Amino acid sequence: MAKVELKNIEKTYEGDVRAVSAANVVIEDREFVVFVGPSGCGKSTTLRMIAGLEEITSGELWIDGELVNDIPPKDRNIAMVFQNYALYPHMTVYENMAFGLRIRKIANAEIDKRVQEAAKILSIQEYLHRKPRALSGGQRQRVAVGRAIVRNPKVFLFDEPLSNLDAKLRVQMRTEIAKLHNRLKATMIYVTHDQVEAMTMGDKIVVMKDGVIQQIGSPLLLYDHPCNHFVAGFIGSPPMNFLDGKLRRDGERLLAEGEGFSFVVADNHLEALLKAPHPEVVIGIRPEHMGIAAQDQIDNILSAHVTVIEELGAEAHMYMSRRADDMENLIARLEQRHGYRIGDNIRLSPDMERVRYFDAVSGEALLGVIGPIRMSSRRSALAQG
Amino acid sequence: MRLGDWYDRNAFWIFPSASVVFIMGLMIFPLGYTIYNSFTDWSLTHGDQVNFVGLKNYIDIFLNDDRFWGAVGRTIYFTGLAMAVEVTLGVLIAVLFDARDFRGKRVARSIFLMAMMATPVAVAMVWMLIFEPTAGVLNYLVKASGLEAILREHAGIAKLLWITDSASVIPSLVLVDIWEWTPLISLIVIAGLATLSREPYESAMVDGATPFQIFFRITLPMIAPTIGVAALLRLVDCLKTFDIIYVMTMGGPGYSSETLNIYTYQMSFQYFNFGYASALLVVFFVFVLGVSLLVAHFRRGLEL
Repeated sequence: MAKVELKNIEKTYEGDVRAVSAANVVIEDREFVVFVGPSGCGKSTTLRMIAGLEEITSGELWIDGELVNDIPPKDRNIAMVFQNYALYPHMTVYENMAFGLRIRKIANAEIDKRVQEAAKILSIQEYLHRKPRALSGGQRQRVAVGRAIVRNPKVFLFDEPLSNLDAKLRVQMRTEIAKLHNRLKATMIYVTHDQVEAMTMGDKIVVMKDGVIQQIGSPLLLYDHPCNHFVAGFIGSPPMNFLDGKLRRDGERLLAEGEGFSFVVADNHLEALLKAPHPEVVIGIRPEHMGIAAQDQIDNILSAHVTVIEELGAEAHMYMSRRADDMENLIARLEQRHGYRIGDNIRLSPDMERVRYFDAVSGEALLGVIGPIRMSSRRSALAQG
Repeated sequence: MRLGDWYDRNAFWIFPSASVVFIMGLMIFPLGYTIYNSFTDWSLTHGDQVNFVGLKNYIDIFLNDDRFWGAVGRTIYFTGLAMAVEVTLGVLIAVLFDARDFRGKRVARSIFLMAMMATPVAVAMVWMLIFEPTAGVLNYLVKASGLEAILREHAGIAKLLWITDSASVIPSLVLVDIWEWTPLISLIVIAGLATLSREPYESAMVDGATPFQIFFRITLPMIAPTIGVAALLRLVDCLKTFDIIYVMTMGGPGYSSETLNIYTYQMSFQYFNFGYASALLVVFFVFVLGVSLLVAHFRRGLEL
């Protein structure tokens, strides 16, 4: 098993298209790290550079204490699971799994032992003698995972392995991969555009956008302390609500005011916000912090009308708009049975102590962020940009 | 309205009827008539009447006709040699072509396919000039490259005679066939390669395969069905090659390039033995059909 280190990794394509800028990530031995971001953010490119399928334009890639920039994929001792499974169509499931071992001239008995073992873990023993085309999507993906397991590699790479599966199967495979990680205790690097997958599977999440790493941290750190507007909006489902506002001093108090609201900044945020570079801010409120105001409450009220209600049983997602054209989507997550109906006017009261603030110009979080969040790579990328 | 109803109810036979008539008139009838003729002694050279002779023609073909068996052997020789080279070369060219994108790839591909578009008779005429032992460009090149001297010294061959020598006539004809038809195989295989997904290659790379192993254990098996289609098409064409042989050698020198098709042609349009020629045609038809079915069956095993 191995530690993987990306030091200032960059990828530039012909015509000066920069796919990945100064990526610095340390993936500890046995860690499950998820790279997440919208399509085209460079996450897959980063993974493919780790695999050796893409050349690294500049920077250093270390696997298990060895600089591997110029080492071909076959000698990196990694295994990769691809989005479209990438099974060999002309080989049976067994041969698909054995291929990598045969290439390495491993004895037949050993191959058989490993294939059977992997097949057992993934419960695909019955299909060993079928060809891929006779398998369903979920079964194919298991075979692809099995092919990686038998290799017993230093690092497992997953490139959006679940995105071709239907919703139910995806949830199931998600837990299975997580279990597999517990069982194999291997270093795993996983790429997805699905933040739910990232949140549920990763020990550590790397959020990317436009080839730049935005933030690295544990799922909850990213959720509670997003370093900028983008990460705040990307992580979490339903997404965070954003309100444009302006900071204004009012005697002892600091107010955050905007269209139809005037919030009193909570005491725990005062110190940080007083140092804000611009008065214009974006106020971020998680749907679960969008409370309903008490009858007699006067401060921190946001009035809106209900446009859509999604009943999920245990909770409900209520979509609201402050505007007559319903074009706005404010979302509140209600945990109890609520009795609201579409068109109802509603008085919301955000939990001011848990609200996040972002600079309206740069998008940076204004409240101090905790942990190893702001990467040097971001600064250097901005400096270069 | 009523007519419309009638159409709706009967469309199932009205629409196909045109093609049924076409197939009956142009395929089934001639085939049936040929089979019928093959049991007769119809000939324009012995005049009088046409007699039904039963299986006599077939017995003669299989038991008493050395020229037939020679033609069978040459047909197999021609086809085997042409197929071996064309498929190998065609696949190789396709793989090289597919390996890398370059500027003008499409233009290059079109130029490459031009040989296939040429009229076979014209091609044959030009190749006759190329093969001409004294004035032909091929022997000029042999001489200019110093090959002639080497051949004379080590093999005792004074001059390469190409299609005018019984030993080299079939390989020479095969050369023309290769020149004209290898691009077809490449074209089909290029199309097949284009449909392959890249991921299995990358997967094999990560799995530890060398480029050599990837080619033989991944690429080749994956395009095998496509190669099978191309090979089948060429196989049928090779077995019944007629045009270039007719124009260039007419089966000569002697009978040394006489394939089944040429022999049948001679039998019908030189000797006017229509009965016997019909029997030859039927045998030839069954032979081509049999080989094709065999190959088609084998090809199914390559299916992914």
